Amino acid sequence: MSPEEMLLDPLRLAAEAEPERIQPQRRIHAAEQPGQGPVVPPVRTIVLDRAPLPAPPPSERASVRTQLAGAGPERLRLEEVSIDYGPKQAVKSVSLSIHQGEVLALIGPSGCGKTTLLRTLNRLTELTPSASRAGRIMLDGEDIHELPDTTLRGRVAMVFQQPNPFPMSIFDNVAFALREQSRKRPRRRELEPQVIEALRRAGLYEEVRDNLDGPALRLSGGQQQRLCIARAIAPRPEVLLMDEPCSALDPISTKTIEKLIGELRRDLAVVVVTHNLAQAHRIADKVAFMYLGDLIEYGSTAQVFDEPRATRTRDYVGGAFG
Amino acid sequence: MLERLRSPWSDRRAELSLGAVSLLIGFAVVAMVVFVTIQAWPTFSHNGLSWLGSGGKLEEQISAMQETSVHPPASAYHLRAWPLIWGTILTAGVAVVLGLAIAVLSSIFIVELAPTRLRRIAIPVIRLLASVPSVVYGLIGILVLVPFVGNHVISPAEKTSVQDTVLLTGKSLGVAIVILTVMITPIMIALICEALASVPNAWREGAIALGVNPVRAILAVTVRAARPAIVAAAVLATARALGEAIMISMVDGGRDFAPRLSDGITFLFEPLRTLASAIVDYHDGIGAPALKSTLYAFALLMLLSAFALSVGGYLIKLPMRKYQVRG
Ligand SMILES: Nc1ncnc2c1ncn2[C@@H]1O[C@H](COP(=O)(O)OP(=O)(O)OP(=O)(O)O)[C@@H](O)[C@H]1O
Ligand SMILES: [Mg+2]
Repeated sequence: MSPEEMLLDPLRLAAEAEPERIQPQRRIHAAEQPGQGPVVPPVRTIVLDRAPLPAPPPSERASVRTQLAGAGPERLRLEEVSIDYGPKQAVKSVSLSIHQGEVLALIGPSGCGKTTLLRTLNRLTELTPSASRAGRIMLDGEDIHELPDTTLRGRVAMVFQQPNPFPMSIFDNVAFALREQSRKRPRRRELEPQVIEALRRAGLYEEVRDNLDGPALRLSGGQQQRLCIARAIAPRPEVLLMDEPCSALDPISTKTIEKLIGELRRDLAVVVVTHNLAQAHRIADKVAFMYLGDLIEYGSTAQVFDEPRATRTRDYVGGAFG
Repeated sequence: MLERLRSPWSDRRAELSLGAVSLLIGFAVVAMVVFVTIQAWPTFSHNGLSWLGSGGKLEEQISAMQETSVHPPASAYHLRAWPLIWGTILTAGVAVVLGLAIAVLSSIFIVELAPTRLRRIAIPVIRLLASVPSVVYGLIGILVLVPFVGNHVISPAEKTSVQDTVLLTGKSLGVAIVILTVMITPIMIALICEALASVPNAWREGAIALGVNPVRAILAVTVRAARPAIVAAAVLATARALGEAIMISMVDGGRDFAPRLSDGITFLFEPLRTLASAIVDYHDGIGAPALKSTLYAFALLMLLSAFALSVGGYLIKLPMRKYQVRG
């Protein structure tokens, strides 16, 4: 095992390499973080279809990324989360943890429950009457279902697949959450620094600085998506959820947004759903592979792509890189 | 012949024919306005702007017109139309304000909050209500509402308080407003519901995902996006309310009396007449040129208000549309 992978998640990787030694490892880890209770390892044991491959030499890009990342504190933890739509189980007992300073990519074939899982992290699935949920989701050690949903969504922001700026000016779009979340209506002058900061972080400011009062719907698709990112990060959330943020965009806008994600993760935990495996490989620190509602594989990007443990993962990522 | 119609039209031909039709309609509208203005002219030239004001008894002024000959003297045109104008503003204005408030709230309820099953029933029912002929409402008004108000709602004290000037029978401003509101609200609800339903769900969801509570999301995003349709619905309803003649003439009491705000709540039970119902009530008398010209003047006033309404609606919608353009 390469030192770089040890750095990513020593407990997990060690536990999986030597399953019989998991208990002592776990106790040590729990003792290190007394406030947070024991860290729940992935509960669905991953069935190894074959012996793990010998670790390949880490690719150059991956090592660059890992040096940049430096995983921070755990933000979100999912404990055996299941989501049903009526009789249909869309997500089956998924356990994961999401750290600040890290990009987690959710991959998997269409209909495997990625969007459902993502929307559960800020309780948007609750808007679907037929949806029900089991398991716990902790944000900084607090159950998200004990937080008011508006507070939660202020801390866990979301960017959708289709850019959805509101029919307002660019400024009003970015200021929307700031205005709604403050008790008395702040003036434009007070909001301006935050709006400009958010647009800067979203890499859009230079393009729209002279047109902040122009209609948001006249921006290009890629600009609209960056505007939505600015709108989502303006209230300074801790976690940013993105559901296929580039699937409606051209390659250049995609590249811009990928670069942006790389920068945003410095102060956020980012979860990205993507169908584009190359993209997942480029931007993610961790990858979770889902199949028919199951979390099949979860690990560092290099591990999932280069030495997948499950046959399904191997087949799926093999299709892209094989 | 049919063969020729079926074969596809060239762009040029379609453009020409559509252009010709629009031109024809435009021409008809202009011709109508010119005609009505010419017919109404004697009234305005004799009365000047004080035609719009108040003074004297309107009923007497009109019967004086009916008594004049085919060549009326200038004095026969004398009229102060304020009671009718006031009656029109009151009925249409209050009904539209009330109706708009009801329509916006119930549309929000139907589209955003009601369970799907209720919505599936409510929308067709409302469309049905919107298509009920106004004379049916008038009939219900005169057979049910007027006697009820006359016998049970208006107190004897209220009747005696104004008995020197006017008799309270139940045919009143209040009944006219209620029926007019009932008549114009369904069409507003139907239009606003459609607009709210066509607001992309992505906006609603986007707002909720930003941590805005659902009610605020509806107001700040959905209703906001539907504002132009709300204005359009209000304009349409106002035009209908202004022009409603038969129904109003059935329940308004047919008195050329301007309900007096100074009478307190009794004001709602006072009879009145509107411009449109005046045309219905007096149209038998158009043998007298002075009265004929006067009725044309009423018509012109309504035409101009309708135009002003459309232009006003357009101007109000302009800034609202500013951010709605896509692409
Ligand atoms: N509102 C809903 N009601 C009922 N079933 C739903 C609903 N939304 C999703 N599902 C079902 O849940 C499963 C998971 O859907 P989900 O949208 O999470 O998949 P996905 O992984 O995001 O797929 P894709 O990659 O195509 O976006 C699917 O089988 C889908 O049919
Ligand atoms: Mg999806």
